[in-house]
Order: sequence, then structure tokens, then C-alpha cells
Amino acid sequence: MEILKVENLSKVYGTGEARVEALKQVSFSMERGEFGAVVGVSGSGKSTLLNCIGGLDEADKGKVFLSGRDLFAMGENERTIFRRQNIGFIFQSFHLIPELDVEQNIIFPLLLDYKKPEQERVDEILEVLGLENRRRHLPAQLSGGQQQRVAIGRALITHPALVLADEPTGNLDSQSSQDVMDLLCKASRHYQQTVLMITHNMNLTASADRVFRVTDGELKELGGENE
Amino acid sequence: MKHYLDLIKISARQHRKQNRMTRLCIALAVFLVTVIFGMADMEMRSQYIQAVKTDGSWHAAFAMEDEQGALLRERPEVEEIARYETLNYHLRDGYQLNGVETGICGFDREFQEMLPDAQITEGAFPENVREIALNENAMAQLEVQIGDTVDMTTPQGERRQYRITGVAKNTALTAELDAFCVFLSTDGFLALHSEETGAAQEGLYFVRFRRFCNIQKTIDEIETQFGLGPEQVRQNVKVLMMMLQTRDSYLLSFYLVAGMLAVLVVIAGILMITASMNSSIARRTEFFGMLRCLGATRKQVVRFVRKEALGWCKEAIPAGVAAGTVVIWALCWMLRFLSPGLFDGLPVLGISYLGIGVGIVVGFITVLLAARSPAKRAASVSPLTAVSGNAGTVKAAKRAAHTRLFKVDMALGVHHASGSKKNFLLVTGSFAFSIILFLAFSTAIDFMHHAVTPLRPSAPDIAVNIREGGLNQIPSGLAGELEEYEGVKRVFGRGYAFLTLPADDRQVVAISYDELNLMMAKDLLIEGRLKEVIDGKGVLSVFLEENTFDVGSSVLVSAGGKEQEIRVSGVVECVSDVLDYTTNTIICSEELFQEITGEKGYTVLDIQLEKDVTDGQVQGIRRAIEQECGDDIAFSDKRMKNQETKGAYYSMAIFLYGFLGVIALIAFFNIINCIAMSVSARMREYGAMRAIGMTVRQLIRMVFGETLTYTVFGVGLGCLAGIPLNWFMFRTIVTNKWGEAWTVPVWEMLVIVLVMAASVCMAVLGPARQIKGMTVVDTISRE
Repeated sequence: MEILKVENLSKVYGTGEARVEALKQVSFSMERGEFGAVVGVSGSGKSTLLNCIGGLDEADKGKVFLSGRDLFAMGENERTIFRRQNIGFIFQSFHLIPELDVEQNIIFPLLLDYKKPEQERVDEILEVLGLENRRRHLPAQLSGGQQQRVAIGRALITHPALVLADEPTGNLDSQSSQDVMDLLCKASRHYQQTVLMITHNMNLTASADRVFRVTDGELKELGGENE
Repeated sequence: MKHYLDLIKISARQHRKQNRMTRLCIALAVFLVTVIFGMADMEMRSQYIQAVKTDGSWHAAFAMEDEQGALLRERPEVEEIARYETLNYHLRDGYQLNGVETGICGFDREFQEMLPDAQITEGAFPENVREIALNENAMAQLEVQIGDTVDMTTPQGERRQYRITGVAKNTALTAELDAFCVFLSTDGFLALHSEETGAAQEGLYFVRFRRFCNIQKTIDEIETQFGLGPEQVRQNVKVLMMMLQTRDSYLLSFYLVAGMLAVLVVIAGILMITASMNSSIARRTEFFGMLRCLGATRKQVVRFVRKEALGWCKEAIPAGVAAGTVVIWALCWMLRFLSPGLFDGLPVLGISYLGIGVGIVVGFITVLLAARSPAKRAASVSPLTAVSGNAGTVKAAKRAAHTRLFKVDMALGVHHASGSKKNFLLVTGSFAFSIILFLAFSTAIDFMHHAVTPLRPSAPDIAVNIREGGLNQIPSGLAGELEEYEGVKRVFGRGYAFLTLPADDRQVVAISYDELNLMMAKDLLIEGRLKEVIDGKGVLSVFLEENTFDVGSSVLVSAGGKEQEIRVSGVVECVSDVLDYTTNTIICSEELFQEITGEKGYTVLDIQLEKDVTDGQVQGIRRAIEQECGDDIAFSDKRMKNQETKGAYYSMAIFLYGFLGVIALIAFFNIINCIAMSVSARMREYGAMRAIGMTVRQLIRMVFGETLTYTVFGVGLGCLAGIPLNWFMFRTIVTNKWGEAWTVPVWEMLVIVLVMAASVCMAVLGPARQIKGMTVVDTISRE
């Protein structure tokens, strides 16, 4: 079942001599439960791609369909609500809310919908993340690896159709990086969630079903782990 | 870039907006301090000018022998000394010019410098014992010129001839009493006095002391040196008060209140600067952490901080001082405009060195101290922690937000406000201080209402009545005739009659008002309706603590054997026309007055004049009245007195309302700026929240929650501390003097709370615009 469909996505920054084509006619799609990795050198356009797919940034041309809905056809407010209900974000620098404890950070997207979270689901995620004993800790009281696990929990709590991870291991040591990768795989395999991850590290693409490379704004699929 | 400190300029360019807000806040605090202290300074100066104009610039007067006076003259503290004596001060001892009671003043030439009212403005000072100067009123009434001679009759029946050498201006008192006043040299006065009374006159020596002299201590020494009793020493209390040289216990308590207000203003300024700088502490801690990481020593960071802070001060302090000075100029100009003549001595472009000095000191020291805080924090943690941001944004939270109590957006807003105890205390403290200042200063308004009575709209410039005639002898048609004269704005006539109450034989005074005069009494109405009175169907009763006629009641009165029932339609506050405050007084329309008493004429004519009326025109009016009513009229020229009353009121009102306005304005800007600073410092966090899925509306609600938290606690704290302070100050400067009991300042609280509420709404608008225009990707990837 097709979850994500990207059609002829183009994005240009600057004008004149400073003009940079960050994305050039990018098109691809992903199925439910697929784990995709996007690699590319710094400045190749991979973060721009992720931001456009996530609706954080608007493309100049092209369309992004998520679960059949055109992201750019929505108004700003509608897109924000759609994003928090259907897309989970994981950032390199975690971006946890410092004033909320672990559990509150995880359920934050639900709280934004003024919904009462199911405690079983919260407990399950905390258990999967290995943070049962840290649920009342504030982000400042956690290690980097633990903070990123909280960010993953926050991305998964709404059962999003798509999880977007921008260098999720960029700030972590190797053990924590491995833990994060295991969790992302689990999200994809166990919860059947589509995951698209950006990374510099080719070693991390080993777990991905599909690998894309972005070079000067052009996307090319390299193939899955078996290739 | 040649030096590491050049980074300051580069960093300032990068953080232009944040720095602009910091500078704005410093400028606001400096503005507050400069304006309040500057206005207080100017108010003191204006009061001093007024006091010198009305009471003179002398400091103390000593009743002593001539030999003692000569010794006193030799004291090093004495700058100016002059002898001054009076005779017939109460205008009833029999010293007369052309049959009119005349006040006599005798003084040394130098005394003119100490009392503007005694200045000979035309001609020469009378040197010879048979030379004299007259006031303008006497000159006009006697129709004499300089060089003419006049005859003065004395109580002994003697006629003394004097040659007129000069003219002195009328004073407010002589104009109001329509009195003649003559001025003699001290020798001339002593000659008259000894020949009249045969007794030697003890001298009254007026002294002005040198600057920087401790006047009270000097007066004590003089008392001891010459063995003077308290009854032999007079002090010019108003002038001494303005010079902070009094020992009067009431005035000392006034200083205490002023001192407390000054301290409050300084604390408010310090809090404003510290609170605003504290909200950007995280960003700056990261920045200094980065510097430390790159190898900067603590000393270098401190130097950096100091130079950066000096950079802010360089622009913000002059801006605050300049804005404050402009406001002071505006107030001074307003005062000169509203009370020309009285405040001519007040400079239009006056510089208050006190205001500027305190503004600079408060701004400079607070900025330097507050700016050190992030550097100290960065220096106290490892450079790596500081640069990673963990010493700043993340570390700020010590407990989680209450998402169970409030919705998450509101909960986060509340937490942003209350998360950091220091920041919370600083911001709510600065909000609370605005309220405390407002409540404290508002007691000065109560003081003003008691100390200075504003001129009523119906106050006359000239009041006329017939001295020896009975009641209602002025023909009613004269009012209309006078209104046709040039320089006359309007004329009110009032009839007076004594009625009796047949029920208990008590007397009631009835006063007639014309329609306009009745309309002007509207602001005095305590209860009831004016329309019935204007229509001649009812009367107004003047309030008495006991025996005020109730509204709606009917009173049976008797006049000239005729009884009539009148209806009380309203009660008014005490009016100046009341003859005595123990007898019931009723006010009615002219028609009803005529119906009750049968009288048509007026007892008193009140004339209001145009602003540009000349003395010649006033004399013309006087002649017209004399033609109609005869020479024996009391022509009370109240223009100077009115001007003094207006001046005193305007001077106080402008400065006190100015204080309150500035405080409200500062509260307004302080709230807006504090929230803008706080939002600006959290933009990255807001960006992350937007990325996760928070809507713009939710973010705005969060900012609103933060603002509301600060404001609610600020208002609570402000009222909690402000009300007792209001009570204390009210008791010190109002209750102790006039006995009025303190009541909770509900209106004042309502005004300041409304200002705060408006500020909250405005405070959210700016950040809301900022949040709406925020690009999520740019915001979260910044820094």
C-alpha cells in the first residue's frame, strides 16, 4: 500500500549568481512499512527533501501525497494538524521540550490535539524505548542517547503513517546510534510504519529496505540492503 | 577584525533584534528614572519659584534690637539682611488715604530683593522720611502720579503729607481686598511709628542665608546668641521646604514619603533592566561558552561582557536621558502655557541634572552588573556544556510543566513564566513595581486634592458688593449691562435673603443663581436633580454634616411674613458663596427667589473676565458699577489670587498626573518588552514545537499564558505590597494633616489593572506576528 508519493519536487534557493537548485524534479514513492535511507554529501539537498516531504518547507514545484492527501494543497493550519497526526519527526538535535518530562514529551503530539493518551500505549512505548524508569525525568537529566529515544517515542505515539528522521544518530555515540537504528527498524517492521531517514553514514543504510542518494538536488535510488 | 573584542560589533549585527530590545529596555528604565527624578526636580523648582513669588526669597526673620540686627548682619552665613515693618495690616487702625484704610510697609531698599511683592516697579524707592511709594490700586483710585503729594490721616487725626516717588504692583491680597498700600523707607516708617505711638519699634530683620548653609543649625545659633524666643523667629516654611532645609515634622514626613518613592523608582529601573537581560541569558551563555571553548580566558570573557554592555549603554542611556528630558521640557512648557506669569522663571528647556545623573547611574551600574550574569554562568560550567546549550535552554527547566492542570499550550506558557525562579521573580517583580509605584504615587493625588483647591468654573475674577448697603441693592439689569463691556466674559448676579423656618424658628439663607450659574453647580451635586431647580420648581440644599434637608422633602419657609412651601430637589457640596457653614443654605433660581422673597436685585455680582483684559478695561468696569451703585462698593479683584490658585493646582496636577502617566506608560512598555524578549529568546524552541505539530494559534496561546502568569502574579504581588504602602503614605501625608480616613484605592487599582490588561493584549500581538512569520526550518536549524 503506497503511503508516500513524491512527484517532480523542485526547490530553488536564492537568485542570480547565488541561485542554488536544492531539489530537481525529485519523484519517488514508498510503501507502508518500508524503511528508506537517504544519503548524500553535505549541502546535496537531502535535508531540504525531508523538510518538504514533512511539510516544514514548501517546494517551488511538485507535489507530496501522504496517505493520498496532497500536503501542499492544505492550508498552513490544516497542514500543521495533519503533520502532527500523520508524520513523526526525529531530529539530530532531538528538539525535546525542556519543560516537559519524558512521558509528557512522548505524548506531546497527542496533548496538542487535546486528547487523553492511552496509558497502555504510553507504557508500551516507554518499555520499547527502555525508559520506564525515566518517565518523570526532564530532558536535561538524560544522556544524548536517551533523549533521542524520547524523540523516537514522540514520533511514534500517534501511529504516524510516516516517520522522518534527519540524522538521528548524528549527535550520538556508536552504542546509542545502534540502539536508535534498532528502534527505527522495529518501528518499520513491528509497527509497519514507513520510515525515511537521512544519514551521512553509509553503514547505517544496512538496515534500510531502500537507499536513495541525493546529488546536487537529484535523487537516485541505489537499491536495498541486498543489493 | 584586528582584535577579539571586534567580535562584539559582528555579534551585535547578528543579534540586531535581540540587542535592540535590550537597548530599548535599558532606555526605558533610564527614561523612567530620568523623568521621575527630573519631574520631581522641576516640580521643586516650580514650587520654589511660586513660593518666592508669593512669600519671598527670605529664609528667616528675627525680631530684635537694632544693635542685635547689626551683629546679625556680620554673621558669615548671612547673604542679605533687611528690616521690614508693617502698620495697619488688618486695615482697621485708622491710617487712611483719602478716607480709605491703608496698609503701611516700611523696609530697607535691600528687602525688595527678598520679596517681589515689595518691589518698586516704577519710579524710585522712597529715601526721604516724607517720601512714599503707592501700590497700583491706590494710584488708580486716587488718580495721582509720581511726584504728586498725598495726605495720610493717622489714628491720632494728624495729616501727614508725602511725596510720591514710585509705584509697586498690586499683590493678590491687596487686589482682592481692594486695599491701598503705601511703602516707606525704614527711617520714614520709624518716624511715623514713633510720632504716632511714641514707642520705639523692635525691628523685624529678614535674612537670606548663603547657599550650602545649614539654615536650621544657623537659626539655632542665632537664637542662642541673641537669646531669642520662638515667638521672635519666623521661618519661610515653603521656601525652606523646597530647599530641603526644614525641621517641620509634617514636612519631614513628606520627605520620608518622597524618599520612599525615589527608592521605589530606582528599584523599578533596576528590575526592568535585570529582568530583560535575564531573559536572553541562555543565548548569551551559549555564546560565552563558545568563546571559552575557543580558548578565551575568563578575564577575556569578562572584558568582552563589559565592552558589550558599555556599547548598549552608549546608545541606550543617552536615548533614555534625551527622551526623559524632552518629556520634562514638554511638562515645563505646559506649565508655562497654563500659568503664564507665575512660572516664567521656569526654564522652557530646563536641564534636570538630578534626573539625568540618577538615570545615568542607575542605567550604567545595573547594565554592567546584569550583563555579568551570563558570563559568570558560562565561566562556571565547562565550556563544552555551555556551548552545547545545556547550560542555557535545557538546564532552565527544573520541574515539569503541569499538563494535567492546564491544556498543554497554556501549561507550557505558565511554565515558561514560572520555570526559572529568578526570572519569574525579576519579571513579576518589575510588573509589581509598576503597580506599587502607581499606588504609592496616587496618594500624592489625594494630597493634592486636599492641599490645593482647583478653581471652580464659576469662580469670579472680580466680585462686587455694596459695603454699607443692605441686601440685594445692586440692580439686576447691571449684570446684563456689564456683559456688554469689552473684556467681560460673563456676569453672575446673586441675591441673598434670610428666611425662617416657622417649625423651629431657625434661620435659612437663600441664595439666587441664574441659569448658567446653576448649570455650573452640576459638578457639586451630591444627590438629586438640577433640572427642577433650573425650572424654578425646587431648590438645592447645601450639604451640612447635620440638618441637611433631604432630597424630595418639602420645607416650609417664611419671608416677610409670607409662608411658602419649597421642595428640595438636590444636595450640593459646600459652595464658596455660603455665609457660614452652620446655617442651612438653599440655592434657587432667580424666579423662585423673587417669588419667595419679593427681591429683584443682587447682593453680589461675580464678573468673569476675558484672558486678555487690560487694567484700563477693569477700571472702566469699576467706574460703570460705581456710577450705578455709588462709590461705596467693595471691588474685589481676584485675578492674581485666581492665577496663583490655578498655578499651584496646575503645577502639582501636571507633575503628579505626569508621574502616574509615566508609570503607567512604563508598565505598558515593560510588559511588552519583557514578553518580546522572552519570546525572542525561545524562538528556537517554538520552531521545534511548530515542527512537531503545534499550530500558530496554540503557540500564541502559550505566549498569552506566559504573559498572563507574569501579569496575574505581578498584579497580585503589586497589590499586596502596594496597598499597605498606599495606606502608610495616605496616613502620613493626608490623614495626619486633614484627618480623612484611608479607603482601599479601588479606582487606582482598576486603572492600573486595566493598563496591565491592555499591555498583556499588546504584548501578545508582537510575538504573534513574529510567530506567524516564523519559518520552521530556518528557526530550528539556526545557531
